Amino acid sequence: MKKWSKSDLDKIRASREPDRDWIKVGMSTCGIAAGAEAVFEYLRDEVARRGLPIEVKKCGCLGMCYAEPLVEVRAAGLPQVIYGQVNRELARLIVENHLVEKKLVSDHIYSFNREE
Amino acid sequence: MDKKYILVKDTRRAGSNQTEHFAGLLAAKIQASPAAEAVQVVRAADIGFYDQGLVLKFLPGGPVYLNVSEADLDRVVRETVVGGRVLEDLAAAGTARQLRVVLRNCGVINPENLEEYIRRDGYRALSRALFEYTPDKVIEEFKKSGLRGRGGAGYPTWLKWHLTRSVPGAEKYVICNADEGDPGAYMDRSILEGDPHSVLEGMIIAGYAIGANHGYFYIRAEYPLAIERIGKAIEQARERGLLGTGILGSDFNFEVDIRLGAGAFVCGEETALIASIEGKRGTPRPRPPYPSVSGLWGKPTSINNVETFANVPVVMTRGGDWFAGIGTEKSKGTKVFAVTGKVKNSGLVEVPMGVTLRQIVFDIGGGVRSGKKIKAVQTGGPSGGVIPEDRLDTPVDYENLQKLGSIMGSGGMIVMDEDDCMVDIAKFYLGFCVEESCGKCAPCRIGTYQLLKILERISEGEGRSEDLDRLRLIAQAMQKASLCGLGQTASNPVLSTLNYFETEYREHIQAKRCRSFKCRDLLTYSIIQSKCKRCRQCFLNCPVQAISGDREVGFYIQLDKCIKCGKCFEVCKFNAIARE
Amino acid sequence: MKEGNDYHQELSGLLAKWKDKPGNLIMILHEIQNHYGFVPRQLSLQLSALLDVPLARIYEVLTFYNYFKLEAPGKHKISVCMGTACYLNGAPEILRELKSILGVEEGHTTKNGLFQLEVVRCLGCCGLAPVIMIDGKVYDKVKKNDIIDIISKFTRSKEPE
Repeated sequence: MKKWSKSDLDKIRASREPDRDWIKVGMSTCGIAAGAEAVFEYLRDEVARRGLPIEVKKCGCLGMCYAEPLVEVRAAGLPQVIYGQVNRELARLIVENHLVEKKLVSDHIYSFNREE
Repeated sequence: MDKKYILVKDTRRAGSNQTEHFAGLLAAKIQASPAAEAVQVVRAADIGFYDQGLVLKFLPGGPVYLNVSEADLDRVVRETVVGGRVLEDLAAAGTARQLRVVLRNCGVINPENLEEYIRRDGYRALSRALFEYTPDKVIEEFKKSGLRGRGGAGYPTWLKWHLTRSVPGAEKYVICNADEGDPGAYMDRSILEGDPHSVLEGMIIAGYAIGANHGYFYIRAEYPLAIERIGKAIEQARERGLLGTGILGSDFNFEVDIRLGAGAFVCGEETALIASIEGKRGTPRPRPPYPSVSGLWGKPTSINNVETFANVPVVMTRGGDWFAGIGTEKSKGTKVFAVTGKVKNSGLVEVPMGVTLRQIVFDIGGGVRSGKKIKAVQTGGPSGGVIPEDRLDTPVDYENLQKLGSIMGSGGMIVMDEDDCMVDIAKFYLGFCVEESCGKCAPCRIGTYQLLKILERISEGEGRSEDLDRLRLIAQAMQKASLCGLGQTASNPVLSTLNYFETEYREHIQAKRCRSFKCRDLLTYSIIQSKCKRCRQCFLNCPVQAISGDREVGFYIQLDKCIKCGKCFEVCKFNAIARE
Repeated sequence: MKEGNDYHQELSGLLAKWKDKPGNLIMILHEIQNHYGFVPRQLSLQLSALLDVPLARIYEVLTFYNYFKLEAPGKHKISVCMGTACYLNGAPEILRELKSILGVEEGHTTKNGLFQLEVVRCLGCCGLAPVIMIDGKVYDKVKKNDIIDIISKFTRSKEPE
C-alpha cells in the first residue's frame, strides 16, 4: 500500500466528505452489551431493503452509557438527534417516521447540553 | 421557511411527569397559530437539564427555555415560535456544560476508518511536529499548555518528556499505560475503542519529543475490543507510513507494539508496569532511579496514560496557549470522568477543570437516581477517598481533591446515597487492596490486611472503642512506609470515610447500628403485628425456617435461628417486616 | 487428556510469533490461555524447556496475575462484575444468588463441569450495572430474580443463540 506523505494527508483533508445523510450506532463495549449489534444489523438491512439514500455506520461510545444502545441520525431537513435505549421496535420507528416521513420520534430523544 | 422542532420535557424531580400534558397543550396552541405547519412538537426522553421544571428546546439552533409555566406557553408561541424572538427571562444560562476535547471524536467517527480520523484533523499534529517543530520546541509547547498526567498523580507531561529527553542514550521508550485498573472507571477503554488513532498519534509525537523510536501499548487483557481496535489502528498507520521508517517522508522512525496486562492493579505503578512488559511479575522497585533515567530494559522511558496521549494532538494543533486557556490556574484542560454508582445518568462526562462536583453530579448527571439524598462522591478509586455532600461545591482540580483527602485519580467518580454505608465502602476498597497488594513490602501487605480485619470486625458488631485510633495509626504508617503508590494510598478510603463519617463508625461500634442497613450482622428483623396480613409469604420464603406461627396466632421471627438474609423483608408486600 | 506430543505441536505454533521477542513470557502465556482456556502444567514444563526458562519463573508469573488460570475451565464461564458501580448496585446479591443456584464458590467449576463461576474486577460497563458476563456476552442491569432464567438457558440440551 502506498505510504503517505504530509501533502497526501492535506489532500485527504481537503477532499471534504460529501454531505451524505447517515445513521450512527454506538458500538463500544457498553453499547454492544446493551444490544447495539442487533440494532445495527436491523438498520443496515432495513435501509438496504427500502433503498433509502442514507449510510448506516458504526462509531465509538457517545458517553451516555445509561441510555445505550444509542443511535444518532442526520437526515437532510431534520435536526441531528440521538435516540437512546433503541431496540428493534424503536429502530423500525426511526426508519418509518424519521427517515421516511421526516418526523422526529417522540419519547426517545436524548438531547445533551454540551459544546464541542 | 425551514421546519422547526421543539423538544419538550418535564424535568421536575418530584410529582408526576407532565411531559405529555405540556407537549399536548403546546402542540394545540401552535396548531391554532400561523406557524401550524412549520413546527413539530416532540417529547424528549432526556433534554440535558434536570430539576428545571418544564424545559423547551428549539431545534435546530436553540434557544432553550427553563422552568416554563403553563401561563408562559402563549407567550412562547407568539414571540418565539411565530415571531422568532428569544424570551430572555426563560432562556437557560449558567448551567455547567460538557466540553469535548479528549472525546472529540468518540461517537463521531468510525474508529476503524483512518481517513475519517484524518478528515477530523487527524495526524495534522504529527505533521506539524515533524516538519515545523524541533523536539525541544514540542516540549516547550507542552510546557505552555500546562498539561498534566491524567493517570492519577498529575505530573507535568512536559517535564516527564524533558527529563527523559535529557538523559543521554540512543535507545529510549514510550509506554502508553492502558491498564485501567480502577474498578468503576472506563474512560480509557472508551477512548481506545472510540478514537484509537488519537492515542496512537499522541504516542508518536511523544516519541519524537523525547527521542524514542519504540513504543508499547500496555492494555488490560479484559478489554478485547480496545485491543482489537488499537491493533487495527497500528496496522493502518504502518501501511500508510505513519509508523515505521521515515514517517510521512521525514527522517523520524517509530514502531509500536502491544503488550497485555493480566489483571494486576499494582501494574498501574510505573516500575511494576515496566517489569510486566519485561515479562516478569509486576512488582514495583524503589525509586530513584526513575523510569526517565532507567526504565524499560534499563533505558530512559516515559510512561503516559491513555487520556494524556489523547490530549497531545489537540495541544499541538490548537497550541499550548489555547489549551492553557481552559481549566483552573494549576490544572489545565478538561478531564473525563466515569460518573457511576447511584447517579441517574451514568456515563462518561468531559468537563473543563474547575467545574464543581455538584455541577457534575446534578447538572450533567441528573442527580441521584432513586431521588434519595446524596451522601458522598468517591473519586480516585481504591487510592482515593470519599467527599461528603457539604464539600460538593469544591471546584475539581488536582490540588483541591487532594486537600479533601481524595485524589483526581484516573477519573472514576462514584455517587453514593443514603443506602450506602461508609464502613462497608471502606471495607470494599480495602478488600480490593488486600488482593492487589503485590506483597513485596510489609507496610502494604500487612497493613491492608489488618485494616480490613478491623473493618470487618466493626461491620460485624465486634468493634472496640480503640479501633478508630488503631485504624488511623496503621493508615498513617502505610502512607509513610510503603514502597509504592498502591500502599501509600491504599488507606485513603479508610481515612477519608473516618474523617467525614466518624459518627457512622461510632454507631457501628457503640450502638451496633448500621444506618444504611448494609452491615447484615447488625440488623434485626421482626414482624409488625399490626401491619401483618398473615399472608404467609415470609413463612414460606424463609430459607432457614426461622419464622414460626400460623394464620391463627400470627407469625414470629425466631432471632436465634435468623440468618438476617432479608428474604422476608423483600417478599413482604405490606411493609410488615421491621428492619433495625 | 492430551499426550505431551500433541501439546508440543500446538505449542510451537503459538510460540512462533513471540519466540525471539524480548520479555515474551507473559504474551506467550496469554496465547496459551486463549487457546486452552487455562495454562496446563504439562505445557508449562515444555515451555520451560523450549524457552530455557526455569519452571519456577513461569509459575512465579502465572500465580502473580489474576488473569491466568491453572485449572481447566467449565463449559460456560460466568463472570460476576464486582467493580464499584456494580457493587453499589447489588452485585453482592447477584453473586450470592449464583452461588446458591450453582452450589459452588467463586473461582470454582460445578461438579458437572457446566459452569465456572468467577468474580472479576470491572468489565467496564459501569453504566449498565450490575452486569454479569457469560461466555463473553454481557447481561446488563441484572436483577436477582433474573438469574435463574439466564442460567436455565444454558442447562437445556439445546444451546442458546
